[in-house]
Formats: sequence, structure tokens, C-alpha cells
Amino acid sequence: MAKTNLPPVIVLKDLKKRFGIGDAEHYAIDGIDLTIRRGEFIAIMGPSGCGKTTLLNVLGLLDSKIEGEYELEEKSVATLSSRRQARIRSQQIGFIFQSFNLINRLTVIDNVALPLIYKGMTQLARIKQASAILHNFHLGEREYYMPHQLSGGQTQRVAIARALVNNPSIILADEPTGNLDSYASHIIMEELSDLHKRGNTIIMVTHNPRLTTYASRVITMLDGKIATDTQTPTKKSDGDAKRPLGKKKRAKRKKEAKS
Amino acid sequence: MRFLFINHIQNAKQSLKSNRMRSTLTMLGITIGVASITAILALSGGASKIVGDQVDALGGNVAVIRPGAPSDTPLSDITQTPNQQQFAASTLTENDIDAIEKIPNVTSVAPMMILSGAVKATKSAPVNTAIIASTPELAESNDLTVQDGQFLDPELSPYTTVIGPQLSIDVFGTEQSIGKMVNIRGQGFTVIGVLKRTNNPINYNGVDFDSSVIISRDAGKSLNQGTLQIQQINVRSDTIGSLDQVIIDTNKALLKNHFGEADFSVLSGDQIAEPTNRLFTAIAGTTTAIAAISLLVGGIGIMNIMLVSVAERTREIGIRKALGASNADVVAQFLIESLALSIGGGISGYVIGYVVAFGVSTFLPFDPVFTWEIGAIAVGVSLVIGTLFGLYPAIRAARKDPIDALRQYD
Repeated sequence: MAKTNLPPVIVLKDLKKRFGIGDAEHYAIDGIDLTIRRGEFIAIMGPSGCGKTTLLNVLGLLDSKIEGEYELEEKSVATLSSRRQARIRSQQIGFIFQSFNLINRLTVIDNVALPLIYKGMTQLARIKQASAILHNFHLGEREYYMPHQLSGGQTQRVAIARALVNNPSIILADEPTGNLDSYASHIIMEELSDLHKRGNTIIMVTHNPRLTTYASRVITMLDGKIATDTQTPTKKSDGDAKRPLGKKKRAKRKKEAKS
Repeated sequence: MRFLFINHIQNAKQSLKSNRMRSTLTMLGITIGVASITAILALSGGASKIVGDQVDALGGNVAVIRPGAPSDTPLSDITQTPNQQQFAASTLTENDIDAIEKIPNVTSVAPMMILSGAVKATKSAPVNTAIIASTPELAESNDLTVQDGQFLDPELSPYTTVIGPQLSIDVFGTEQSIGKMVNIRGQGFTVIGVLKRTNNPINYNGVDFDSSVIISRDAGKSLNQGTLQIQQINVRSDTIGSLDQVIIDTNKALLKNHFGEADFSVLSGDQIAEPTNRLFTAIAGTTTAIAAISLLVGGIGIMNIMLVSVAERTREIGIRKALGASNADVVAQFLIESLALSIGGGISGYVIGYVVAFGVSTFLPFDPVFTWEIGAIAVGVSLVIGTLFGLYPAIRAARKDPIDALRQYD
């Protein structure tokens, strides 16, 4: 099913996540075996409460109280110290949230530069790098805006810029378009799809079946288990890694940003 | 790591700025605490210094002999009333004076017998007016000068007296009182001299010369049923270099007189000022302890605000953790914030403390002192308070589960 020629980034073996104790005990993830290879764009679907977000949190090392085996880049996560896990979050993982999760009292550029702080970069280097990525996302003119001064689509683009500022290999997106209208959703999905084409591994949780067309693989979950796992032969996943943006596309982007 | 630290400072600055009112009020708690401690230490330092300065001003060739064995435990002196020895029969005798006078290099020996009692003329003197019975050498050993008339003279009648300028005003209404009669413990004395104002109410003699009467040793003896009760002997050597030898010789001579019992103490330099300093240290210690309570309250204020801040910023903590902040990063962020509050409060408290100290010192006979120790105490105390009361909120912040933290909406 998956492209077997690429190395696995994430390997889950009989992964379980339990909430509550005694009578209230409940497995949000109930024995998942999953291998995710580099460069895949995975959409995780499923009804509310099926364990999608929990799975994403586990994959993002935000939740380490798990049963079973989780190997990230061939290293068991259970053996990693919390400091090491924080470093992996800082350098290898980029989070995109449904509710954007920007820090309201910081400007757009400070928000984008936030992950670089924990890499120990100087302020100037941080601002430079954040500014560069904001320009890529056509938000150069909004650098010193506060998050509340942006539209929903712009806010999410800032959040994506923040997730990417560290050049992470894995991007975890939890319903990235959940709070956006269809137009803004489309733009965000184009961004993600573009990232995928440049070789990033993307794992996206979504409720919206239309968005699965962007993904190279669709996993549906039910009651903490994987119900289906299908490879989508989509024209968008041509595996053309690190292709720069074309002239036409750039012009189109500019137009969109201006509007 | 260094950049991270700088960033935490920038971050703290920003976060404190965004809650300006709250930060200022929290700092105020520490400011008040540190200001009171600074003012107390600066003033008590000034008070202690003035006695030492007087000893230095006399030229550093002064030794003082006091009755009673030298005490090794300063605490016992603090708990005793400072004047207790004045009520005990002194161990120093007239023989001792004679023995000291024979020591080479000694230029003046002035015994001081301090009596209390009624001093009257036109008006009564204040009740606690000191009556000092001494010898003419007192003028030399204490650098006393007369502005009018002359000092004690053994050639004259023993019932003559030299009075302080303030006392002269108190009992006669004028500083011009030569030839007038003053009644001391029922005995009439003729005023033969008025001292020049010294303006040193606090000194190692324990008396204010400006408002005391000085009578001759013999007159003092007769007022005290024929015995001399020596509270202090002031000895002056000819040079500073010979003072050490004079002290050794004095100790030897007195030990011989006292049959080998060291029931006296020969003091020089800082030791002379020590009993006075101990008293000020005791007072400063007590008041500092009280001021420390306000500091404690300030610290609790910091802790309270930091806990509120952590609760308010739970979501931010979650975001930061998701973006790669380790627990140590979160602890550092909040700890630096509380340290910024306490050190800010400490510095402003130090400045305000000195302003208060200078304000208060206009009513006091001494000035506050500037020492590096007081600055170090102000900064040190703020550091300790900031760390102590900031640590728990910071650890609490770091322990927050990132998933729960992200779920909280602000």
C-alpha cells in the first residue's frame, strides 16, 4: 500500500492510550499498528471521539503515557527523556492546530519566531528567518500585526509558517481548516499540498472528506482502531520533492494575498 | 543557552509590561520591604560610625579602661541594660589611676565618675543631667575646650565647676554663666568655665558634654560619701605607636593592683565604640527583623501574582511546549519573570530606602552610611525572595500537561 522504497519515519506497534481508571477506564487508542514513510501525506478521518486527535498528540510527543511501541525515526520514544522529546518537537515536528494557537500578546513575526527560541538562535537570526518564511506565505506586510488583526485564513497561514519555520520533517495538522470558510480552506490545503510536494511528511486529522483528495493516503479510524487505510492515487501526490514554486503559481499567490 | 536566557529576559519584560499596573503593585511589596531594611541599615550604620569616628578624631592614641571583665559573648551585653555597670560598685580604684600615671608614654589619665542627681540654679536642669567628677586631664583626653572661663584646676576650691553650654542655657537661660552659683546635689558650686559646644550627644563616654556638669574628683568623692566610683578611665599616649605598649603596661599594672583578677577591660580603637555599636546592632537587628516581615508579605504577593499569571497563560505554556520548550525552559521563563519583579522592587527599594534615610537623618545627629554591604543585602534579599517565591509557580507551570494546557481557551 505505502511506498515501500522510502524509509519509515513513524512505526506504531499495538499502540494503546488509556484514559480514566477503574470503571471509567477507556481506550482512546486501542491497538494501532501503523507505519508512516517519509514524504507521505496522510489524512486521518473518523467520527468525533474515535481517537484521531489523541493519536496526533501521541505522534507529536505531547502525550508520552502510552502502551505499546512508538518508534520515531527508528528510535523508541519510550527511551527518550522529556528534554530530548522537547528537542525533537522543536526540531523535527511542526504543529498546526484547528484553533491556530497563536500567542495573542505577541506580534505575528514573534509568534512565527517562537519555535526558533528553543533552538537557541539569536533574536536577529530568529526575526530574519521568521520574516523570510512570512514572505513566502505572502504575509510580509503583516509581520507586525497582532494575531487578532488578521482574518481566519491569514491567522492559519501564520500558524503554518510557525510550524514550518524550523524546517521540520513531520507536520502534524489537527483539523487545520476546521475554523475556516471554504475559500480559506482551499488556500491552506494548497499550502499543505505544496509542502508535501517539497518532501515533507504531513499527517492531517480532518472531518471533511473533500480534503482527503489532497492526501496520498487516507486512514479512517473508529473506536480507537484503524478501520480503513487506503492509498489514494491522486495526481497531486507526484512525489516531486522540493520543487520550487512556479512563476504562475507565485503570481496567483500574490493576487490572493492582496485580495 | 545564552540566547535563551536573553530571550527569557525579553519575554519577562514584555509580559510584565503588558500587565503594568499589576507588576508595579507586586513590585511595591518588595520595594517597601527593601526600602525599610536599607533605611534601617544605613541609619544604624551611621549611628555606629559616629562613635568610631570620634575615637579616630581623637588621633587614635586613646585607650579606655572600664570596670568589669571583657565579655566574650556579645549577646549577653545586648540582653543586659547598657547602664547596668553604672549601678554596680566599680572595680577601678584610685590606686589604679596612680599606677597608670606612672606608665611611660602616658600623657594624660582622666578618670570619669558619673553621678546622677539634681542640678539647680535659676531653673532645674533636666533630671538625667550627668555630673562628671574628673581631673583636669579630662580636657586633654577628650579634646574638650572651654569657650568661656577655664577648665578644672586643682589649685582652686574643689567646689568649682565647668558646665556644658546647653546646661548653662537650661539652668541660667544664657551661655554667659561664669561666676554664677549652681546647686549640685544640695551643694553649691561656682561656675568657672563653660565648655565649647561639641554636638556629640552619642559618644563613647556615654554622656553628652554639652549638657553635663564637670566637677573635680575630690568634690565628686565628697558627694558620694567619700568614695570614688570610677566608670571609665581615659588614657592618652604621646604617640599612636606607643599606644600598644601603653595598653600592655596598663594591663600589667592593673592586674598587679587587682591581685591577678582581670576584672577590668582596657579598650582601644574599635573596641571603645563596640558597646555603643552593639546596642545599635541590636536595635537595627530587631527593626530589620520586623522589616523582613514586610518583605515576606511582598514575596507572598509575588507568588500570588505568578500563580495567577501561570493560570492565565496556561494555553501559552501548552503552545510553547508543543513548539519545543522543555520543562526547564518553562521554569526559567517564569522564574526570570518573578526575579525581574523582585529585583526591580529591590533596586527601587534601595533607592527609596536611602531617600528615606536621608530624610530621617535631618532630624538625627548622624548621616546614613553608604557601604557595599547594604547594596549587596538589598540585591541579595530580592534575589532570594524572587527565587524562593517564584520557584513554586514556575515548577507548576512546567508541570502542566501540554494537551490539557492547549485545550484551555483564553
